Amino acid sequence: MAETITEQDHRALLRLHDVQKRYGGVRALRGVDFEVHAGEVHALVGENGAGKSTLIKIVSGAEVADEGSVEVDGAPLGGGSTQAAMEAGIATVYQEPHLFGELTVAENVFLGRELLAGGRVDWATQRGRVGELLEQIGLDRAIGDVRVADLPVAEQQLVSIAKAFAHSAKVLILDEPSAILTDREIEVLFGVVRSLRAAGMGIIYISHRLDELAQISDRVTVMRDGEVVATRPTRSLSVRQVAELMVGHELRADTADRVVPTGDPVLDVAGLGRSGAFEALDLQVRPAEVVALYGLVGSGTDAIARALYGIEPADSGAVRVDGRAVRLHTARDAAAAGIAMLPGNRKQQGVFADKSIAFNISSAHLRYLAKFGFWFDRARERSLAQGFLTRIAIKAPGPDTAVGALSGGNQQKVVLARQLVRAPRVLVLEEPTQGVDVGAKEEIHRLVLELADGGSAVLVISTDLPEVLQLADRVLVVRRGAMVREFGRGASQAEVLAAAAGDNGDDPTSVAADAEGAPT
Amino acid sequence: MTATTGQVDQAPPVTRRRPRVRAIEGQEVALIGVTGLLWLVLSLATDTFLTSGNLQNILFTVAPIALIGIGMTAVIVTAGIDVSVGSQAAVVMVVIALLVRDAGFAFLPALAVAVVSGLVLGALNGLLVAYGGIHPIIVTFGTLNIYRFVALQIFGSEQVAGVPGAFAPIGGGAEGRVFGVPVAWWLTLVLAAGMWCYMRFWATGRHLYAVGGDAFAARLAGVRVRRRQISAYVLTGACVGLAACVLIGSGGLVQQNVGAGLELRVIAAVVIGGTSIIGGRGTVLGTLLGALLVGTVTSAVTLLSWPTELTQLFIGGFILVAVGVDLLRERRRSAR
Repeated sequence: MAETITEQDHRALLRLHDVQKRYGGVRALRGVDFEVHAGEVHALVGENGAGKSTLIKIVSGAEVADEGSVEVDGAPLGGGSTQAAMEAGIATVYQEPHLFGELTVAENVFLGRELLAGGRVDWATQRGRVGELLEQIGLDRAIGDVRVADLPVAEQQLVSIAKAFAHSAKVLILDEPSAILTDREIEVLFGVVRSLRAAGMGIIYISHRLDELAQISDRVTVMRDGEVVATRPTRSLSVRQVAELMVGHELRADTADRVVPTGDPVLDVAGLGRSGAFEALDLQVRPAEVVALYGLVGSGTDAIARALYGIEPADSGAVRVDGRAVRLHTARDAAAAGIAMLPGNRKQQGVFADKSIAFNISSAHLRYLAKFGFWFDRARERSLAQGFLTRIAIKAPGPDTAVGALSGGNQQKVVLARQLVRAPRVLVLEEPTQGVDVGAKEEIHRLVLELADGGSAVLVISTDLPEVLQLADRVLVVRRGAMVREFGRGASQAEVLAAAAGDNGDDPTSVAADAEGAPT
Repeated sequence: MTATTGQVDQAPPVTRRRPRVRAIEGQEVALIGVTGLLWLVLSLATDTFLTSGNLQNILFTVAPIALIGIGMTAVIVTAGIDVSVGSQAAVVMVVIALLVRDAGFAFLPALAVAVVSGLVLGALNGLLVAYGGIHPIIVTFGTLNIYRFVALQIFGSEQVAGVPGAFAPIGGGAEGRVFGVPVAWWLTLVLAAGMWCYMRFWATGRHLYAVGGDAFAARLAGVRVRRRQISAYVLTGACVGLAACVLIGSGGLVQQNVGAGLELRVIAAVVIGGTSIIGGRGTVLGTLLGALLVGTVTSAVTLLSWPTELTQLFIGGFILVAVGVDLLRERRRSAR
């Protein structure tokens, strides 16, 4: 692959020089230099928050760089307009397929850049072109005239790929396309990507699945904390090395002085599965134990959380709490079984933003807080909330402050406080510190450990690796809906990440030969 | 399913029934059926329904609702809504009534002024929606009150009689008919046909659906979202201008409360016509049929000498059925 690139192909199609971007006080990009050559697939990797998305937004015209220059094929790109970027030759496939259900496949493919004859769309030419594209990616050409809403989801995703190939772009950006595709669809995708590379296009391939990189990419750029830490030929790196570059200096987990929990499991999950999401999940959490489920975006950990919450029930397997079999078909079932939860999407699922802190904390315990079982005790609600303000350092003027006025970290503390009113038997936390600043993060971690020390079984579901290692007594790694490895305390970030990203020695698709690969 | 064996080199294309996009949608067929059935029943049940006078009356009274509905369909397809059309109509009617009475404007100049003033009012709504970042229902609820104030301010406490005469060419009388069909209705048909083609075949017309489906994604795809939003409100304003002329031509007086409640009848027609209130789906043909159904029911209740409030009950029922059908269809789709 990379060997066939000749000198003249090394023309840089995209060149970023010293690009800086700030969001408020956060420096998302700190002087990034990045180049994509004609006829190469350039992988871009990094942990969440490393700056990949910001980089892509700037290149695709959705954002403007504060400083630095972006050149496409030698010409400077005036940022801030997706249309200008498209005209300059940048095509982007976003992670979520942005398709319009009411429009046909052909219309979606050409949306915003219709082939016109006069003011009117040139339907005949468009249809012919779409037919070719669809055949190229292994779809029936007749679906060009079908409304996207009438297609199965898998085909919709292929359509979004066809969309990016429809226009004669110089640079194609694929933002985690494989996160939503099945293996077979990925093969189709790779086939098309290779033919585009052969045609001289420059392709930026963003992925969390490090095992894919060797299959498809020529070079890899690793980002961390808004900076490019390395750009290397893919052949020269193993999955393990890429993971180490992503993580940077090895942060040792704070093993503290936690005793190894014993006793019968409080939460006992056996063979749990939901078709299409995850399968045959076995896990036990003992009293006072913190277990983490770690997986990359798209691995299925979020679906496991929703199954335990009863929001999207599992369709096979069994869950026992304290030895009793429980049925988790609704969120109420989960609560009745003693499973308390901290949902991942705080804005949508966690808080009543325009209500007071006191209301938010008491809302799950109205009966518990009521006198004689019906008369709601406002004074008790307030004093309860006041207690939490000091106990877990929620920074707010008082219990009557609206939660929406608090910072993300403090909002999360309020949601957590709701679970602490009565110590739950099982606490399931999903991305407990997402979008939370460092200080609040530490306090939340302290709280979680405190809660576990009180005898609750805690299951943390997170894509934040340092957090997982910090909190968990055991880390269970999930990949493509299945549990692949288990680590105890003291595991290194790189080995956990490598396991999650698909580094198992016998897998023919893994990057190079990795001698230290996963012993299973 | 056609199972092909031995084909190994290429991924076999999945063969399945392919629902293609049809010129007439399910909901439109259903509306034609329901309306047709009503016409049949009413023709048999009364001697008065199937008379040219009554049919002309139905068409004429439906015309302003259908006219504004043409623009409103575009607005609702972009996930917007315009509840100020009644007040817009009031402003336009007051302005042209005074121009005709006091400045002696003839029909065509008055019509032109009506359309232009409608355009202006619609443009204001469109700009506020596109650049203000405020929800369309709030924006137009605000302008509903402001436009009503403007109308009253221009008008004072007067009422104007005698204006309808100038608008006879588009009015409800014999003068306002060509081949026995009200001119207002011809106008509606021509505009609706044009709009139907625009929303179906023109690039910018298709973009209206993209804007209503997901404005952010549409922007990423290079659709000029704000321009499309503004164009929909401007078009609605222009339609209101035409409808205002028809309403004046319908005889009677121009007085303070003209156009009150018009927005609800228009939105009812659009929703019954199958346009999704959350945007991204809908057709002008559906709106036309929805307006016709509403007009038929109104006429039927009168002809059968039922209490007029029953009209409200029927229209309410149609709205709920239309939205219910829409919901079922969505569920069936997402279940696949």
